[in-house]
Amino acid sequence: MKVIPGGVFVPLLREPTGTSQVPVASFLIDTYPVTNVEFLAFVTANPKWRRSQVSSLFADSSYLENWSGDLDPGRRAPSNAPVVRVSWFAARAYARWKQKRLPSTAEWELAAAAGYSKANGKEDAELNKDLYAWLARPVPAILPAVTSVRANFHGVHGLHGLVWEWVDDFNTAMVTGESRADSGLDRNLFCGGGAVNASDTTNYAAFARQALRSSLKAKNTTTSLGFRCARDDSSPNPPPSS
Amino acid sequence: MKAFLFFLACDVAILGFVASPASGNSKDACCEAMKTGAFTPTSLYQAEVSFTDDAGKKFAVGQLRGRPVVLAMFFASCGYACPLIVSDMQAIQAKLPAQMRQRTVFVLVSFDSQRDTPVALANYRQQRGLGESWVLLHGGTDSVRELAALLGVKYKQESDGAFSHSNLITILNSEGEIIHQREGLNGGLDETAAVIVASKNHP
Repeated sequence: MKVIPGGVFVPLLREPTGTSQVPVASFLIDTYPVTNVEFLAFVTANPKWRRSQVSSLFADSSYLENWSGDLDPGRRAPSNAPVVRVSWFAARAYARWKQKRLPSTAEWELAAAAGYSKANGKEDAELNKDLYAWLARPVPAILPAVTSVRANFHGVHGLHGLVWEWVDDFNTAMVTGESRADSGLDRNLFCGGGAVNASDTTNYAAFARQALRSSLKAKNTTTSLGFRCARDDSSPNPPPSS
Repeated sequence: MKAFLFFLACDVAILGFVASPASGNSKDACCEAMKTGAFTPTSLYQAEVSFTDDAGKKFAVGQLRGRPVVLAMFFASCGYACPLIVSDMQAIQAKLPAQMRQRTVFVLVSFDSQRDTPVALANYRQQRGLGESWVLLHGGTDSVRELAALLGVKYKQESDGAFSHSNLITILNSEGEIIHQREGLNGGLDETAAVIVASKNHP
């Protein structure tokens, strides 16, 4: 895990009552998104989260669809590639099992606001070029290893340029109506219709994330949606090595 | 479509029942109606959540099993939508035939983990004149978020401490499965009451 120093998150969409800044305390976040081999250990230890046994309340019918079997990620889900096709409930259960939690939107956005070499990613032309190139590319059928993406300023890999990631409070996004009514959200870009209230209209990637979060239900899974865990910085346990 | 085997987690079911005697509600009608065995595949009672009622007692959601449930999420200091939602739930209660009215439980779960303590909820019960068939629940942020996700409720705490939230009344059958949701603040009460009456035919 890596430490993300505390800071201020400015939500993309302003509240009707005025601008708001969300203070974020220092916290720890996983260096990489959770991989298939790590998720395999979780379902091995927790049978009720295996593909054939998971309750339809907690995951839709395409949960872990790209795996070959219950305990076999197989060719389309390489060990070190990020796990995708997981629901919010499954991601949360994994985090609990690891005695961690999912990051909040504010925490995730704060960690992801860094560039490669600068604390403020907006000033990092190289990162922005890579980010928008990734947004424009279709999701590959087989995802690359989590280590294939460059670390950011905080030493965290893959916040941009690999997969989308669940956040604990994804269901705060209150954009009216679904941005996409079908699984097209896997590969398509998203509507930025909320721009009227936006605090930073140039942050296109933040619109994409906002639109994705607001279109999701907690049991949904997609081909490009994974997760990573976080932990309070005040935790008495020392941070694990990964 | 893939076949699901639905081996339901026994540990969840056990948790639910272990907690219920601790609530001391042995005289409550809920317990004689409570069924045993695993929860159904789409029962909300599988959720690993923990709440406390307005008497300060631990409340396992599985305690509601066996009775139809009218459930909404709210917060006590809400000045606009929540009072209307509670009034609508009272209207639904009034529309039910007497026998059905006795069986049905009305549950309010607060978004406000900080301010809506069991004591604050007990005050709210008194202010609104909510009778014995009403259950008011306080939970930690984790359980509140899990329940909201299960119901499809979106919510967000604003900088002034108030909550923006979906206006949603959910009907659960005796197994804790969602059978109806009334969205928004207008109408749909007759339909909702009719769903509850029809739910007596559900397992």
